[in-house]
Amino acid sequence: MAEATKRKKKNEFVYFALRNNKLKIGVAVVAFFLLVAIFGTLLTENDPREYIGPMSARPSGEYWFGTTFFGQDVFSQFVVGLRATFLVGAVGGGLATFIGMLVGFVAGYRGGAIDESLNVLTNIILVIPTFAILIIVAAYLKVRGVMTESLFIGLTAWPWTARAIRAQTLSLRSREFVDLARMTAMRPMRIIFTEIAPNMMSYLVMAFILQFGGAILIAATLDFIGLGPTTGMSLGLMMQNAVNWGALQLGLWWWFIPPGAAIAAIVGALYIMNVGLDEVFNPKLRET
Amino acid sequence: MRRYFGRKLLIYFITFFLAVTIDWLIPRFMPGNPVQNMLARAAVRPEAAEVMYSYYTRAFGLDVPIWQQYLNFWNALFHGDLGTSVYLFPQPVAKVLRESIPYDIFLLLPAILLSWWAGNKFGAFAARTKRLDNTLLPIGYILTATPYMWLGILLAWAFGIVLDIFPIAGAYSFSMEPHWSWLFIGDVLKHWFLPFASLFLVGFGGWAIGMRNMIIYELEADYSHYLEALGAPRRLVRKYAFRNAILPQITGLALQLGVIVAGALVTEVVFSYPGIGYLLLAAIQNQDYFLIQGCFLFIITGVLLANFLIDIAYVIVDPRVRRGMVGE
Amino acid sequence: MWSRGRSIITMLVLVLLSVGLLGALAFGQVYDRDETLYVSGAAWGPPNDWNPFITWSKANTTGTLGYVYETLFMYDPLNDAFIPFLAEKGEWITDTSYEITLRKGLTWTDGTPLTAEDVAFTMNLGNQYEALWFAPMWDYVTSVISFGDRIVRFDFTDDPLYQEFDNNLYNIPIVPKHIWESKSEEDITGGANENPVGSGAFLYETHSSDRNVWIRNDSWWGNDIFGAPPMKRIVDVRFSSNSVALGSVIKGDVDLSNNFLPGIATLAEKGYVTTYFDGAPYMLAANTAVLFLNTTKKPMDDAAFRRALAYAINVDDIVSVAYANLVAAASPTGLLPQLSKYDDQAVIDESGWTYDPAMAAQILADNGYVDLDGDGYVEAPDGSTIALEVTCPLGWTDWMESIAVISDSAKAAGINIEDVTPDYGSWNTALTTLGFDMTLNNWANLSNTPWTLYNLLFRHPIQDIMGSGNFGAYDNQELFDLVDALAAVPTTDLAGMQAVCSQIQTIMLTEVPMIPLWYNGLWAQYSEAVWTNWPTEASNDPARLPSTWHGYWQLGGLLTLLELELAE
Repeated sequence: MAEATKRKKKNEFVYFALRNNKLKIGVAVVAFFLLVAIFGTLLTENDPREYIGPMSARPSGEYWFGTTFFGQDVFSQFVVGLRATFLVGAVGGGLATFIGMLVGFVAGYRGGAIDESLNVLTNIILVIPTFAILIIVAAYLKVRGVMTESLFIGLTAWPWTARAIRAQTLSLRSREFVDLARMTAMRPMRIIFTEIAPNMMSYLVMAFILQFGGAILIAATLDFIGLGPTTGMSLGLMMQNAVNWGALQLGLWWWFIPPGAAIAAIVGALYIMNVGLDEVFNPKLRET
Repeated sequence: MRRYFGRKLLIYFITFFLAVTIDWLIPRFMPGNPVQNMLARAAVRPEAAEVMYSYYTRAFGLDVPIWQQYLNFWNALFHGDLGTSVYLFPQPVAKVLRESIPYDIFLLLPAILLSWWAGNKFGAFAARTKRLDNTLLPIGYILTATPYMWLGILLAWAFGIVLDIFPIAGAYSFSMEPHWSWLFIGDVLKHWFLPFASLFLVGFGGWAIGMRNMIIYELEADYSHYLEALGAPRRLVRKYAFRNAILPQITGLALQLGVIVAGALVTEVVFSYPGIGYLLLAAIQNQDYFLIQGCFLFIITGVLLANFLIDIAYVIVDPRVRRGMVGE
Repeated sequence: MWSRGRSIITMLVLVLLSVGLLGALAFGQVYDRDETLYVSGAAWGPPNDWNPFITWSKANTTGTLGYVYETLFMYDPLNDAFIPFLAEKGEWITDTSYEITLRKGLTWTDGTPLTAEDVAFTMNLGNQYEALWFAPMWDYVTSVISFGDRIVRFDFTDDPLYQEFDNNLYNIPIVPKHIWESKSEEDITGGANENPVGSGAFLYETHSSDRNVWIRNDSWWGNDIFGAPPMKRIVDVRFSSNSVALGSVIKGDVDLSNNFLPGIATLAEKGYVTTYFDGAPYMLAANTAVLFLNTTKKPMDDAAFRRALAYAINVDDIVSVAYANLVAAASPTGLLPQLSKYDDQAVIDESGWTYDPAMAAQILADNGYVDLDGDGYVEAPDGSTIALEVTCPLGWTDWMESIAVISDSAKAAGINIEDVTPDYGSWNTALTTLGFDMTLNNWANLSNTPWTLYNLLFRHPIQDIMGSGNFGAYDNQELFDLVDALAAVPTTDLAGMQAVCSQIQTIMLTEVPMIPLWYNGLWAQYSEAVWTNWPTEASNDPARLPSTWHGYWQLGGLLTLLELELAE
């Protein structure tokens, strides 16, 4: 019986998902950039660091995004940078969602002292301006990679997710099917994962999307002030190089506009996707 | 009421203590020795270098065991002594901070308050009709998704260089000394405008979106339908919806402070605006323990204070919380 | 109620307006463009001290020594001549006794006369406080005594270091005895010395976190001798980054910019700015960028490997791409062009190197470095993998590009070197504690003697912390002895100096303990919109250095500013 309702609900979601414009646009934009990131190098075959062309050249048929001050292909840098961006978003955002999920579930389900202490922890990290701590820690490391950056972002961005998950867990905990599961002496962890989590799937998906976007923004900011990965290319690093080498003053707009525009587009698309998903999952918001 | 605020204050004190301790610890795990860095350029003979090294290590209090340094730190803090900067030796940290703080407040306070107020109004406005909603909404989303520094770069390039209306560096012109005159005030405002605008616009987008979502949610709530069924005018329903929607926006403001601090930091870097964020970055790059501590202290104090004020504001605005407290 | 409120508001507005108007009448706080010189590129942090003895403070108010405090002589590197400044003349009475005669009529800015007593006092500070940078001078100076108002006599031991002493003559600032004799050791060696009293052409007026403002000293002793400064004020601007400086230069808001500006070659071509040279390299050479190799670490302890590396580095790419032709490749001896008379060309021809990857490969092969596992990179003769890092501080954009070139060209020649950019703090510590494989350094500046370069490269004795030179801890006693011998050669003995230099260079070019790569430029671009008569190759006689960098005032930087004229 529970299985049938679940399936019906899923079909309902899919039905509305396919009809939601916001969702469709958001997914399309993100997918587009993802494809560029994955397959972009097939189109250019240029090493992003190589001094391949004329210095400070405008976009042309040969160099789609023009060249940098040193004659490097901006499009190649852009493609490689996109990859790093998606990686950080996925890993950093994923980690943050996971930690938030864990903390929120446990706090909401267990209650009592565990709930209190986790609450205090969450509140503390919520209030601390984690960016300030991030830059201090990032400066401490001699060599940084994309994974380390994602790790730090994940470790500091989870609190709001934990709060939201906890609230939802609290409300679900008192529902009948959970009581049923408890009566069958299922272990709490199993109850959490098999009964509660699926009902929160929508929340988790939306939280992940928001964390993904947030991680991208934090990473770009870190890269821009020079505290990102010490090797490799990223969109924030492109912007930093452009600014440092006078791209604004020299009018090399093709060097600093694409990276930031891509980030704004991807994160914006993610947010719009989120709104769409909210409408799909929440009948009250549906417009049709 | 006392228990409510008492609990909040307790959390804030713990947070303050923890954050400051973390901040105190991290620089000390940084590789590199600040005194050595400072002296590396002195190019004196090895014997003299040794004498100077021990002298400065003693002067900065770095020669006692770590736990003692920690206690000394808190002791000095309560006396208002934030130490001497290594990067800007021999200026005391408190003095350096004092010169940078006004710029931050001047930049951040208007940006935060105005973007919050304007964004909320705008979001509520956009939630009126579907048409308005669909055209204005994407703008809001794109604004809030824009990285702060990229918007700063765009504004600097468009208005500062291409159109040459605003300057893009510093707090006031190099040809002026600070003095009271419309000329100077105008100059300060010209230098202030672009960094303010970039902080304002991103924040504005975020609040507009948030408010719009909250309003729509409230308009779908039972009480709204009830009022409509009773024949109440749209305006009245919207007014109540607004009041309910504003509450999560107030708490949202507290949550966003950390993000805004980060945004202000990069904006200061883009526009070379001489605030704390900019100073913090320089301190980190120069491994100046004391200046890092000082900057961070200011940031955390500001954020906690703002949180506390927002809590008070929330209690004032939401009568249910007050009612609930009276019952205790 | 409301109308009362309204009248209160009206009153307030009126009050504010009148205050504002009165304020607007306050003049003298906006600088007249025709009376002000804007310079930039010297300060890299907020001004924090005005103590002329704190030479290492990165954020030091550069110009304190120059605008306010002065030295006995100036040195003109382009003409290799000492210019008498505070001193009227100086001569060696005997081999171990040197006498200075001060000019007449020298004064401090508070009106007290500057006498020989002040000079003797300043020199003796080095004897009292080991922490002052010129204290080592007292190893071979026995006494400094003043006679009357104008004569100062230095007495030496039997073997003074003439080279270092000469160098000190134009670097030690003279401070007023009547103010400094009551200062504590802390104040003298590390105090901020706010509101400095000096003898110079300018006075401290004001400062803020991003500028210093100096105002002309109308009673400067040099007004009749060198001419009064043509500008009333000098505003020394600290730009937060080179690109912001670039923007200001393009707009003509800065008269002299000593920043490294990206794209300056293009701007010079288009006529936005003037530079010393009309074409490449546009800039004079200021110091040599040297690649230091950590000789305590394999395989950099092998001279053959080092030599192969020297052939493998594509300096042309660094010059033409990373620097867009703003610099020139360095002589393998490391000496700057103005000291080229100490280069032994025969030695260079025999043992010098150029960019030749084939030669590099040959040297590697000849010495047992082969690619055993086919990954394209050679392994050491004992079979161990070679994977090295070349470093520079994060954010030093031109160096970052340069080490990228070094890495790429070395890899092309079969040597696996990765370019890494740690933050300045950790890089700096690694530099002085042998924590690197290979890294760049450019402290060897313009100087009156080749000894300063070789003292930097071959600093000895070898210690755990190499704080002021020889960062790769290259140990060669023969070389150390030669450097010491050079220090003791009298500066008038050209042949003697050349002989010792030749011997040093022979060892240096065969052993290759470090690799001089290029000459960093004396970045200087000027706008002729308000001030003209800037130094250029063509129009300059005598040649002057267009630099406001710390340490360059005594090289004639001050004279450059004095000789400017208002554009019509």
